Amino acid sequence: MSNEKTFDPFFGFNQLSEMWDKQVNGLLYNLANNEEFVRTAGFGLNSYSFYLERLRKNQEQIAALMNIPTKKDVANAAKLSIQTEEKIDILEEQIWKLQDTVSSITKENSGMFEEVVNIVMQMKNEFQKMSKEVAETQKMNADLQELRKEIERDLIEIRREKQKKEPEKKQDKELVLTGINK
Amino acid sequence: MNAFGTNLFPNLNLEKETKRWNQLYKIMTEPKPEIVPTPRKTVWKKNKATLWYHPAKEKRHAIPVFLVYSLLNKAYILDIGEGSSVVGGLTERGYDVYLLDWGSPGLEDADISLENYIIDYLENALKRALRHSGAKEISLAGYCLGGTIAAILTSITELPIKNLSLAAVPIDFSIGIFPDKLLEALQKGQLGLDRFADSYGTIPSEIMYLIFRMVSPGIASSKINLFTRAHDEKYVEKWRRMDKWTKDSTSFAGAAFKQLFNDLYQENKLIKGELVIGGRKVDLKNINCPLFVFSCSRDTIILEKQSLPLMDLVSSKDKSYEVYEGGHVSLALTGVFAEVWDKWLSARSEEIGEVLV
Repeated sequence: MSNEKTFDPFFGFNQLSEMWDKQVNGLLYNLANNEEFVRTAGFGLNSYSFYLERLRKNQEQIAALMNIPTKKDVANAAKLSIQTEEKIDILEEQIWKLQDTVSSITKENSGMFEEVVNIVMQMKNEFQKMSKEVAETQKMNADLQELRKEIERDLIEIRREKQKKEPEKKQDKELVLTGINK
Repeated sequence: MNAFGTNLFPNLNLEKETKRWNQLYKIMTEPKPEIVPTPRKTVWKKNKATLWYHPAKEKRHAIPVFLVYSLLNKAYILDIGEGSSVVGGLTERGYDVYLLDWGSPGLEDADISLENYIIDYLENALKRALRHSGAKEISLAGYCLGGTIAAILTSITELPIKNLSLAAVPIDFSIGIFPDKLLEALQKGQLGLDRFADSYGTIPSEIMYLIFRMVSPGIASSKINLFTRAHDEKYVEKWRRMDKWTKDSTSFAGAAFKQLFNDLYQENKLIKGELVIGGRKVDLKNINCPLFVFSCSRDTIILEKQSLPLMDLVSSKDKSYEVYEGGHVSLALTGVFAEVWDKWLSARSEEIGEVLV
C-alpha cells in the first residue's frame, strides 16, 4: 500500500479562500461598524421607503382610474376568507366543548345507569331471598296449620273420651252415694 | 499502463476528479432536489400555516412532541430528507411528531403580529395537537426564533406543556451579530424600520434573503467548500438541500417584523419582563417545566450569550444547558437534533413498556 498523499488541487484553494473569506467578512463588518454607514443606511432606507410608498400610492390611483383591481384589493378579498376560517376555528372549538359536555354527561349517565342496574340486581337478589323466605314461612305456616288441626283433632278426641268417661264416673258416684255396691 | 494525466500530476486521483466535475455539472444542470417529507398528514390548517402530524414508526413514548421553527425561514429544514431529517429521527425513536409550518405570508397577512402568531396560530395548533393525540401533555421544542416564540407561549399559556426544549434561541436581544454601531442605532431608534415595513406591508422573501445574506455573508466559502468536496456524493446531496433551503426564503408579515425590531431588538422587552402578548404579561419565571437549552459553538447568527440568560430567568428546577459543535442550522440539517434531544427527552416522555404499532 502506498503512503504517498494524492494531489488535491482544491485543498490549497480552499484554505486560501477561507482566509480570504474571513478577511472580507472582517472588512465588511468594519465598514458597517461606523456612524457614517449607519447614517447613510438610515437615509437610504428612508428614501427607499418614501419612493416605494409613492409608487404604491400612484399605482393605486391609476388602477382606480382604470377601474382595475390591485394586489391590495385581492389581499382584502383574501382577508375575508381568512376571517371565515377563523370563525370556523371558533365554531370547531365550541363543538369540542359541546362534545366534551355531552361525553361527560354520557359518562355521568352511564355511571348512574350502572348504579341503577346494581341496585336493581341487588333488589332482585333481595326479592329472590325474600320469596324463598316467604315460601319457607308459608310452608311453616302450612305445617303449623296441619299441626294445629291435628292438635285440635286430638283435643276433640280427648274431650269426647272425657265426655264418655264422665257419665260413667257420675253413675259410679251416684251408686256410692246410694250405697249400692256392685 | 498509466491513466491519462497521471504523468503530468503523478499523485492526482483521476477517478476522484472525474466524480467531482460530474457532480458539479449535475448541480449546474439539474433542477434543485425534491425534498421528500417523512410520512405525514394534515391535522389543521389556518391561513398559510399547516399543522403536520408525523406518526411514530413504533410508538415508544406516550407524550408527543411539537416542533416550532423560526418565522424567518421555512420549516422543512427540520424534515429535509431521509437520513438527515429531525422529524424522521424522532419518529424512528418512537415519538409522535407535530410540526407547525408557518407558511409564507402574503400581502393580506401584513397585519399579523407576534401576538397573532403566538396565540392564534401556535397556541391553537398546540390545542389541536393535544386533541388529536389524545395525550394529556405535550413536549414543545423551538428552533431559533421559533424557540423565542415557544418560550413566550410556555410562559403565558395554561396548556399542559410537559417539557420545553430550545435550540439556538435568542432571548437577550441587547447583543447580537450586527456590528455594534448598527445595533446601537437600532436600539436608539436611529435606524427605524417601521416605514420600510409599512411601505411593503409584507416584507417579500427576496428582501428577507438579502437581510440574511447581509447578516451572514460567506457565499463564496459555501461554493468553495462545494468545489473542494464535490467528489463526496453525500456531502453534495446535503449541500444541494441546504442550498435549496437557504435560497427558498420566506416572506415576513410587516406587523410582526416591526414588533420584532421594536419590542425585542430595540427595547429588549422579553428579558426585562415587559413584553405583553394578547393582554398577558410575558414573565419567563412562569416557565417551570423541565427545560433543555442548547447552542451551537460555530453559530454566526445567534450567539451563545443570547440564549444563556434564559437559564437564570426560568423557575424550572430540572434544567440543562449544552453547547454542541456546529453552525446555526447544522444540527437541524444533519438530523443530529433528534439524537441530541432524544437523549434528554426520552426519560421525560413516559416510555411505553410494550411497543405499540
